[in-house]
Amino acid sequence: MTVKDKTFDVIVIGAGHAGCEAALASARLGCTTLVLATNLDTVAFLACNPSIGGTAKGQIVREIDALGGQMALNADKSLLQMRMLNRGKGPAVFSPRAQVDKHRYHENMKFTLETQPLLTLRQGEAVKITPLKEGYKVTTAVNLHYFAKAVVLCCGVYLNSRTIVGKHVMVSGPNGFANAKKLTSSIKKLGHTVRRFKTGTPARVKVDSIDFSVMSEQKGESNATAFSFMTDSIQSDKRSCYLTYSTPLTKQIILENKQLAPIYNGDINGVGPRYCPSIEDKVFRFSDKEKHQIFLEPEGEFTNEYYVQGASSSMPAEIQEKIYHSIEGLEHVEIMRDAYAIEYDCIDATELLPSLMSKKRDGLFFAGQINGTSGYEEAGCQGLVAGINASRYVKNQPLVIFERDNSYIGVLIDDITTKDSFEPYRMMTSRAEHRLVLRQDNADLRLTPIGREIGLVDDNRYNRYLNKVKEIEEAGKLLNKIYPPRQLEEMFAEAGEPLPKTGLSVADALRRNGITAALIRKHLGIWQDISPEALEQVEINCKYSGYIERQQNLIEQAKKLEGKLLPDDIDYMHMDGLRLEARQKLDKIRPLNLGQASRISGVSPADVQILIVYLAQNRKK
Amino acid sequence: MSEQTIVALSTPVGRSAIAVVRMSGEDSIKIAGRFFHPMPDKPNFVRVGKLQTEHFAEQAMCVYFVAPHSYTGENTVEFYCHGGISVPQAVIQACLDNGARMATNGEFSKRAFVNGKQNLTNAEGIIEMIDAETVSGVKAGVNLLNNKLGELTVKLQDKLTDMISRTEVALDYPEEDLELPTAQSLRGEIAELHGEISQLLGTVSAGRIVKYGINVAIAGRPNVGKSSLLNAFLGSDRAIVSSVEGTTRDTLNESIAYKDTKFNFVDTAGIRNARDEIEKEGIRRTNLAIADADVVLFVTDRKDDFLQCDKKIIKVYNKGDVNDYSDVSDGIVVSARTGQNVELLKQTVYDAFRMGEINNSDLILTNQRHIDCLKTASELLKNAEEDAQNGTLDCVASTLHDAWQVLGEITGTQANEDIIDRIYSKFCLGK
Repeated sequence: MTVKDKTFDVIVIGAGHAGCEAALASARLGCTTLVLATNLDTVAFLACNPSIGGTAKGQIVREIDALGGQMALNADKSLLQMRMLNRGKGPAVFSPRAQVDKHRYHENMKFTLETQPLLTLRQGEAVKITPLKEGYKVTTAVNLHYFAKAVVLCCGVYLNSRTIVGKHVMVSGPNGFANAKKLTSSIKKLGHTVRRFKTGTPARVKVDSIDFSVMSEQKGESNATAFSFMTDSIQSDKRSCYLTYSTPLTKQIILENKQLAPIYNGDINGVGPRYCPSIEDKVFRFSDKEKHQIFLEPEGEFTNEYYVQGASSSMPAEIQEKIYHSIEGLEHVEIMRDAYAIEYDCIDATELLPSLMSKKRDGLFFAGQINGTSGYEEAGCQGLVAGINASRYVKNQPLVIFERDNSYIGVLIDDITTKDSFEPYRMMTSRAEHRLVLRQDNADLRLTPIGREIGLVDDNRYNRYLNKVKEIEEAGKLLNKIYPPRQLEEMFAEAGEPLPKTGLSVADALRRNGITAALIRKHLGIWQDISPEALEQVEINCKYSGYIERQQNLIEQAKKLEGKLLPDDIDYMHMDGLRLEARQKLDKIRPLNLGQASRISGVSPADVQILIVYLAQNRKK
Repeated sequence: MSEQTIVALSTPVGRSAIAVVRMSGEDSIKIAGRFFHPMPDKPNFVRVGKLQTEHFAEQAMCVYFVAPHSYTGENTVEFYCHGGISVPQAVIQACLDNGARMATNGEFSKRAFVNGKQNLTNAEGIIEMIDAETVSGVKAGVNLLNNKLGELTVKLQDKLTDMISRTEVALDYPEEDLELPTAQSLRGEIAELHGEISQLLGTVSAGRIVKYGINVAIAGRPNVGKSSLLNAFLGSDRAIVSSVEGTTRDTLNESIAYKDTKFNFVDTAGIRNARDEIEKEGIRRTNLAIADADVVLFVTDRKDDFLQCDKKIIKVYNKGDVNDYSDVSDGIVVSARTGQNVELLKQTVYDAFRMGEINNSDLILTNQRHIDCLKTASELLKNAEEDAQNGTLDCVASTLHDAWQVLGEITGTQANEDIIDRIYSKFCLGK
């Protein structure tokens, strides 16, 4: 092979959920792309639970899909069951979640990468990144050298990782896969701060040793919608999950063995997430709770392994057995793989721009758990953004930034690049201040045009989008049509709503509690050729118009601050009036605009006022 | 950064012959024209005119300056009106009602600075002023009238934090086996909180008193000299007086200015078991007047007399020039006829509301902003209550968040992290 053979536009290091999206986006945008993975069996490996989506995460997956990413399509192809969480709590928080076959998921994604033009998938541990005059050289453990204008680091939890089961500490990545030992020093040399985070996973147990009869079954919804806007039909109830509980005995065992818990005796130093506590953590921190929920989730269609959600642990293996045996229905359970905690190196994402490019090095991008986030979905969307921007960087195009008001992706990236975080970052709907408009049902309407402009949305997807927009418009034309009470009678009776005394417009009827678009279609005979997806938009826009309007106003207000750009040469350290903490924070993060500045923890409204004065004063000069 | 028109009192709050109210911003001249007639024909010239406020018309002087030839560099209007509390407040209110907003501390100077009307040496001082307003809203909260309001707001916000964090857990962790709120189950709680805010707003009567004056009801049995007392207060024969019981049949409203405060007197019909319909109606109105009053002057001429109501009562022994009240200790002895102790009575009413204290404090305007915040929060909670009845949890949460933000303007907290921290400290969550 010649140097030319080893020269690419973009090199992606890591083929987890971030790496796959990054590589596909880059290649689909026309860049020759190399993906290096320590082990090709780790491509899109679901190292923790065999599920995609959930609250806030489901919204992210829909957004990835709307932009032309792969995660939703891959989940649909590997589906075991599909559910919509939070039904009844309002469309803003409806959250799709899929249980998937982890082996299919890996295979399907790997095959997609393998068959993607311009993409080269190569096993190899990157050990060194050398900045060149133009671009970078990436060296692998077997001393091969690859060259590219841009590099995307998606190293997941593999950097210097060690897994912990009680006293037994293994230098390894998740699931016994080899870790990446040398790359951290390269990342440090490139100017980035490295810190240490921790997470964990429960045991996998054998299905025929589980007593499902004492558990409650959770089936998939038989007619659930697919994850991807492009998937027409799915089988959404192939496999069930099961709910059971830990017992007072569980608590007793954990308390009796507290000194053996690595998180308590100091064997684990990494910072773990509060939202993903191990079973021992839950018992220690919430000692008044007598039992905790445990979900059993199938790992795949052709395996007997089940994932024990809610029981991650880093206790010694023999204590783990006792703990698991104390769980209702798991009295005789056979553990196939131990639960373990994992510690790993990651960077401080406030050293990144909202494009996910390094502030220290042009052409160097970071995405996924290496940025201190947790979760497949969080990783996937960062990978997509980093991949898009790496390719745009190579092509000298302006980098794309997603905003807090157009996507969860924008919220996530703004959060991690703006706010200091001392634990792995998980997305929650409550982090999205505009969640009433950032819904899973309208992800396509929000983002497909953007994806089209970027170049990731093909004609097929774009036409679907255009068609939906047209249908919504068509359906909207009938909203002002007025019907006399006589014609509304049947519909209101079915809905259990008191019959109106005067005539009502379709919109007014739709605003009544029990009246749905489907009922209107059935009783008033309109909207016969409008798709359910389009009608859903009409219904939500109508029922929630007041809230949506208010949210839009808030977005407009927020935009004013976002529009005030802060020049990147401001000397914050010597700016009169700023408090010391604010000077340091602003100097470190170097926000792009006043909006971002106002969200930095440690920057007060008064500090923002000073920045406003500073900007205004500079404008006058 | 905002070009919205701002207004504030430019002279110190309190007793003074003249007060200056200044309004700055693009629309200021337009706004002034809506309630001041006639406007000066050209900039930089003072004109006397009539200033129409919500409750009264006031003679005042007005001058306007056109950008950039003003202190702030923006269009600016100044009104010179009577001093004290009520009049300037009413003028400010007129500006607010017509589209201006209350200026924050140092905002005029800040604008002047931004517009290049002040040199850089002043910058630091200005920045300090801005700091004083916004660095710590908590400080502002503590500075509120009688301190209690600030403390209570923090408490209210804390309750809201609690409610929101539980709601967010319900939204973000639908599968946890926790007792989590539904829209409907929140309704009672929201109503309770709404009630607390309304109650709090109700206790902030000082704000209203500062604006509109103290409502003083003059009540008592027939023929004890209530109307004579009113005349004594007014220094004129406004009310008809006679020795015939039941002369005053309807309530009579008159105001005076005492020091820097307005007293709104209501002379009422004497309370007795009236026989004729007109007098009965008069007594009904008396009761209404008492309900509206901040203080009741209970006029009497005998020691064993008493009035039952839940208002502040000052017992007034009238006819002190003829009756012997030497051993009286539970009231003030006056004579409406001779004017004996009438001034003392005014001072007593004034002191009862600590008006001296209130008016010497420069916090009243800040306070107004905070009261507005509380009102907005109260309205939002009312909406949330309705959402909880008919709507879904995501909408209830959204409205609660808005209310939280509004209270945050008083307490100086803004961060979403507060709520997230609360979520994880209170609930055992996660897989």
